Amino acid sequence: MTRFQRFPTAPARLVLAWRAAALVAAALIVGVLLALSGRDVFVLGELVLRSTVGSRFGLEDLALFMTPLVLTGAAVTVTSRIGLWNIGGEGQFYLGAIGAAGVGLYLPGPQIIVLPLMALAAIACGMAWIVVPTLARAYAGVSEIITTLLLNFVAGLLTYWLATGPWRDRVTGALASSGRISDAIPELWGVVHWGFPLSLAIAAGLAAIMTWTGWGYEVRVSGANPGAARYAGMPMRGRVIAVMLLSGALAALAGMFEVAGTVHRLQGGMADNFGYLGIVVAVLARRSCLAVIPAALLMALILDAGIVLQTQQLAATAVLAITGLVLLLIAIGDELAHYRPVAPASSTRSGAAA
Amino acid sequence: MEMPSAAPGTPPVLQLVGICKYFPGVIANEDVSLDVRPGEILALLGENGAGKSTLMNVVTGIYQPDAGEMILDGYGAEFASPQEAIRAGVGMVHQHFKLVPAFTVAENIHLGWSETPRNASPAVLEARTRALSEQFGFPVNPSARVEDLSAGEQQRVEILRVLARRARLLILDEPTAVLTPAEARDLFSALRAFRAGGNAVIIISHKLDEVMEISDRVTILRGGRNVGTWETRECSPRMLAARMVGREIVPQDMRARAEGAAGRGTAPELSLRSVSIRDERGVETLSDVTLDVFGGEILGIAGVAGNGQRELTEVLTGLLSPERGEVLLGGRTAPPGADAFARSGVGHIPQDRLHSALAPSLGTTDNMALREYRAPPIGGSGLFRADAALALAREIAGLAEVRIPDFGAPVRNLSGGNQQRLVARREMRIASRVLVAAYPSRGLDIGAIATMHRYFAELRDKGVAIVLVSEDLEELLNLSDRIGVMFHGRLMATLDAEGADIERIGLLMGGRNVGEDAASGGGVG
Ligand SMILES: Nc1ncnc2c1ncn2[C@@H]1O[C@H](COP(=O)(O)OP(=O)(O)O)[C@@H](O)[C@H]1O
Ligand SMILES: [Mg+2]
Repeated sequence: MTRFQRFPTAPARLVLAWRAAALVAAALIVGVLLALSGRDVFVLGELVLRSTVGSRFGLEDLALFMTPLVLTGAAVTVTSRIGLWNIGGEGQFYLGAIGAAGVGLYLPGPQIIVLPLMALAAIACGMAWIVVPTLARAYAGVSEIITTLLLNFVAGLLTYWLATGPWRDRVTGALASSGRISDAIPELWGVVHWGFPLSLAIAAGLAAIMTWTGWGYEVRVSGANPGAARYAGMPMRGRVIAVMLLSGALAALAGMFEVAGTVHRLQGGMADNFGYLGIVVAVLARRSCLAVIPAALLMALILDAGIVLQTQQLAATAVLAITGLVLLLIAIGDELAHYRPVAPASSTRSGAAA
Repeated sequence: MEMPSAAPGTPPVLQLVGICKYFPGVIANEDVSLDVRPGEILALLGENGAGKSTLMNVVTGIYQPDAGEMILDGYGAEFASPQEAIRAGVGMVHQHFKLVPAFTVAENIHLGWSETPRNASPAVLEARTRALSEQFGFPVNPSARVEDLSAGEQQRVEILRVLARRARLLILDEPTAVLTPAEARDLFSALRAFRAGGNAVIIISHKLDEVMEISDRVTILRGGRNVGTWETRECSPRMLAARMVGREIVPQDMRARAEGAAGRGTAPELSLRSVSIRDERGVETLSDVTLDVFGGEILGIAGVAGNGQRELTEVLTGLLSPERGEVLLGGRTAPPGADAFARSGVGHIPQDRLHSALAPSLGTTDNMALREYRAPPIGGSGLFRADAALALAREIAGLAEVRIPDFGAPVRNLSGGNQQRLVARREMRIASRVLVAAYPSRGLDIGAIATMHRYFAELRDKGVAIVLVSEDLEELLNLSDRIGVMFHGRLMATLDAEGADIERIGLLMGGRNVGEDAASGGGVG
């Protein structure tokens, strides 16, 4: 007789299989509901597929969505490796955008110099935005979840103020954005700019650092058990500070890519929840920096499909509900991946000696 | 075979028939049958990994059996969860406690209980807890936070939690492993009172003397199978030990040196000079301790747990730096930090391996690299070479004789005894100078303890200095060359173990120093 039993670990291939099943189930449920409300499911489905993976424009859109999601997802993932949660990706994204826009707007020069300077300014601003939560965490044990979250609202308002106040567009008189920034990340393929491959390379590099360096090992041990890190004499505080600053820099870089690659202006509300969605991406990636890439792809697909559905007169709330359904089913799939059949007959007898 | 306390015809409280439980590649339980009668204490014995905890997890609904039947009071029973088991009167206190550290005692007692009054104020919960505490004779402080309690106090809360839910069968998994001898005595008298009420107890323990003292019958598991059940009064510790491991365990005098062994060193490897430590509340936990450990000797540290042993081991391994006084390593001021101590050849087997010596959610490979990841072949030029770490983990697991099905699987899946063996072997590898071992035999079965003692003796014969902290006087007397006694953070005296007077050590452990002249008997300073 075969029984299913819950194991503390879920192998990656089971997680993948269950998630695939969850996506299929989500598609079926949504399809049935849409059909019941009198929509032509096949027309809608075809439209969604064509405007995401089925056409060049769709693919370009996906890549543009993925770029910030990979970076904000990586930002949350690196902190989760050391047992912390940076909820402030949204705010650091804005600060990155502000830093990049400030340099782009007011520092003339050749693009080859200005673009790296924009990136550096973005990183510095992002780190500055997370430095207080970082030090409060490292030296006073203050929960980083609250402090990073609260700073998001400040950053959002600061961006609005700059974009509509001191930095507002004096040429076209647009209401909620700064002037156009002429320095742009070169395009690679259609509207897809070099920020896309760069963000993938950054995620892969982070994965390599976590797995293949002593620093990454120390971060993993410190996150898994601070007591063991202390026992082994690891510089815990230093690692916490470094990881949180790195996280702030990653989210800020997403902001810089958005300013210099896609939007070319500083705009109020431009972070568009990418910082918060980074948390979802990190949860989907299950603490693996490499898995951030497919997780960001999935998130981008969901976002993109949602936009397509909205153009088809589907209420924004319905789209939100669909997104929630997909994530819920994936969470259920992840839980199911912990279950494996145990067949008594297949157990080897020699194991009894263990 | 009828027990006097059970009327003829009374069904057993619990009967297991042919229980099997399998994990991937491991047979944890195979065809286990046993019964527990009303008014008896049944001891469950077996080596580490014999399947005792798994069997009890099956009984309490944490696992479902792959085959076999459970009969409760004469009726077939199946528990889908521990909550169902406790509703049927079967409660368990686990090897690793399952309380919520940030909650108070009263909150923990009432957590997830159908009889907890809705929207009750803390005062109401505390009053209820006080009443329960008096009713069952387990003194607890209802308003204290669990994280501030000692292991013994936490255990009382766990037991009270189970008893409050009207358990008639109480299962205790290695309850005395974390208790001081006095706490263990209190526990036993409470268990006897519980038994007198017609209830039943299953107790898992490695301490044979305790089993002889407390139990009515003994069931022994070996390799997941039931070897047999005996009336305790027909048993002796020696024969229980032999049945457990399947061979005779011959006690050895470990103090005898092997031929060609390195003698006792002439200069101390590790010394403390008037070292004092205060905890964050300003209480002195280590007072003016001076001691020397020489290469090629074993220095035993006796004392009731909680008298400064933790602080002593942390100072000796660089985890704590002393407030006053000096730590000398090889005659020179020791470099600061646990990492520097480890690199200078100081190994450390800490008392709570799961909390400080291992990262439970990481794999065996990562855990075995903890001491050697900085240097080649694993470390060097900032890298972490996972293949070299895996090779190291395989080597340590081989030496420790622990079978690891998957080196990437979380180390918390291993049984407590196997974790302890891995940590011990990992630390012995780096202990080229000093090994500090705190309660190394906790949670190990006698076979494994004998093996560990032999390793310590081999290490000593190679010229390594060993500090062995233990509550078990017999263990200390078997192994140590000298014995220091701790009381209230002071090192009361250091005696030569050869011909040491147990009576006197006992008095010193209680804080009484008989005759100042005797203090010079040891090699202090
Ligand atoms: N969750 C689990 N997954 C895989 N193997 C396990 C699990 N729990 C226990 N085991 C294995 O089952 C065997 C019995 O373990 P356990 O019941 O903890 O032994 P004991 O309590 O007698 O020391 C051991 O080989 C152990 O490694
Ligand atoms: Mg056990």
